[in-house]
Amino acid sequence: MKNNIELKNVSKAYKDFELKDISFNVPEGCIVGLIGENGAGKTTTIKSILNITKSEGNIHILGKDNKENEKEIKEQVGVVLDDSFLSEYLTAKHINSIMKDIYKTWDESKYNHYLEQFHLPTNKLIKEFSSGMKMKLKIATAISHNPKILILDEPTSGLDPVVRNEILDIFRKYIEEDETRSILLSTHITTDLEHISDYIVFIENGKMVFNSPTNELLENYGIIKCSKEDFSKIEEKDYIKYKKEKYQYEVLTDNKDNIRKKYNITTIDKPSIEDIMLFYIKGEK
Amino acid sequence: MIKGLLKKDLYNLASYKTTLIIIILFCGIAVVGTEAINWGAIVICTIVGMMSLSTFNYDETSKANKYILSLPTTRKEIVKEKFILAIGATILGGILGFLLTAVVANVMNYVKPENTIPIDYESLITTTIGGMWGISLMQSIQIPSIFKWGAEKGRIQMFVLLFILIAIGAGAGFLIMKSNLSIDMEMLNNFINKFGLIVLIALMVIMYFISYKISYKIYKNKEE
Repeated sequence: MKNNIELKNVSKAYKDFELKDISFNVPEGCIVGLIGENGAGKTTTIKSILNITKSEGNIHILGKDNKENEKEIKEQVGVVLDDSFLSEYLTAKHINSIMKDIYKTWDESKYNHYLEQFHLPTNKLIKEFSSGMKMKLKIATAISHNPKILILDEPTSGLDPVVRNEILDIFRKYIEEDETRSILLSTHITTDLEHISDYIVFIENGKMVFNSPTNELLENYGIIKCSKEDFSKIEEKDYIKYKKEKYQYEVLTDNKDNIRKKYNITTIDKPSIEDIMLFYIKGEK
Repeated sequence: MIKGLLKKDLYNLASYKTTLIIIILFCGIAVVGTEAINWGAIVICTIVGMMSLSTFNYDETSKANKYILSLPTTRKEIVKEKFILAIGATILGGILGFLLTAVVANVMNYVKPENTIPIDYESLITTTIGGMWGISLMQSIQIPSIFKWGAEKGRIQMFVLLFILIAIGAGAGFLIMKSNLSIDMEMLNNFINKFGLIVLIALMVIMYFISYKISYKIYKNKEE
């Protein structure tokens, strides 16, 4: 499988924060979820990919170096940034007129089709849009030049569940239309990723904790709820982190079959991605 | 790509059109009231010229800079576009300033022939170009300042820089006076009459060029 995005040892040092040796791939036809707390380094990673911030390491997009072929690459990338878009004193009609002269492959009819589908007015100022409408406009703008790659930074934050679902559907359809496309989606709302992502990359304090296929993550990881006595029998190498609750211990493992066989524990809960993330952040070892 | 960026800024500026019309009307009334028609040209030229810089504010308040860098455009093109807009606004401001002042003065002379406003077109052209030069100096200082410190802080820094420049100018003038350097005023006047306009235009080109180079150097390494 070809990789549309490849990151090798990407690092970036700020005064009070450091992104260190981030390496992962975004294969063709896949949705990769980038998860982590606010301030973990997700946006810095995305900014590095887009060469908005200067970082160390190697980044290849569609097989080309992201710094040497910046303009050519960005023609084939659609971007949604949570906190940044064009001025709110513009209208959706203005955006169309601007983008026609920005992207060589801008598809005006596709853009108008999305505006219609999302019920977005063409002549209303963006500042009068709701957050959901603004996000839909950003997405319509990002996909109307038929990009090979979508890079989305927190595209669902602050939105209600109905709009979030609608937006996730759009991403699903975008990948289904052409299987050589890819999506890199950063979010701290991990439930969004359980149904649509193929891989999960977890970043914590600027370091990559894991990069794993979503189904493996959901199938292999488990939470054991046990007494102090039972917990003391589990070898340290067999679990990742544990949390001491009021009456019991909660233990996260990445190999629940092994736990079942080795310790004869039968009740192992299936964790959500959020549970796994919280164990890594808040758990002890 | 530059065309797309220019469109973005022009659409933003379009929201200023009512303010611009009001200011121009105000200047027209001021010209009629004071009969100092040359000032009308300078004020209109200044307003239009400086208005182009407000596009930086639009980008900053909507945090558009990060998004713009994610589009298929280079940092060089982003800087170039701001200069095209600034220079264009200065030229447009100059033309508008000259034309509107001339039109208002002539209309008033026609309406009130008993109270004729004297119109010296040569002086009006010189004043307008002088105004354009002043605006180009302000823009040349302000654009790199904004690229360096942002639209809000950049404005403060610009006033600091302008103050320093005025202080240097005044200091140089004071030194010349103190050193009893004799200046042949007739020769100076002749030179200004012959080459004044060419020197002003050449200085404008040089100022913009230096400012562009500095701006690009700053923005090339700027983190958003």
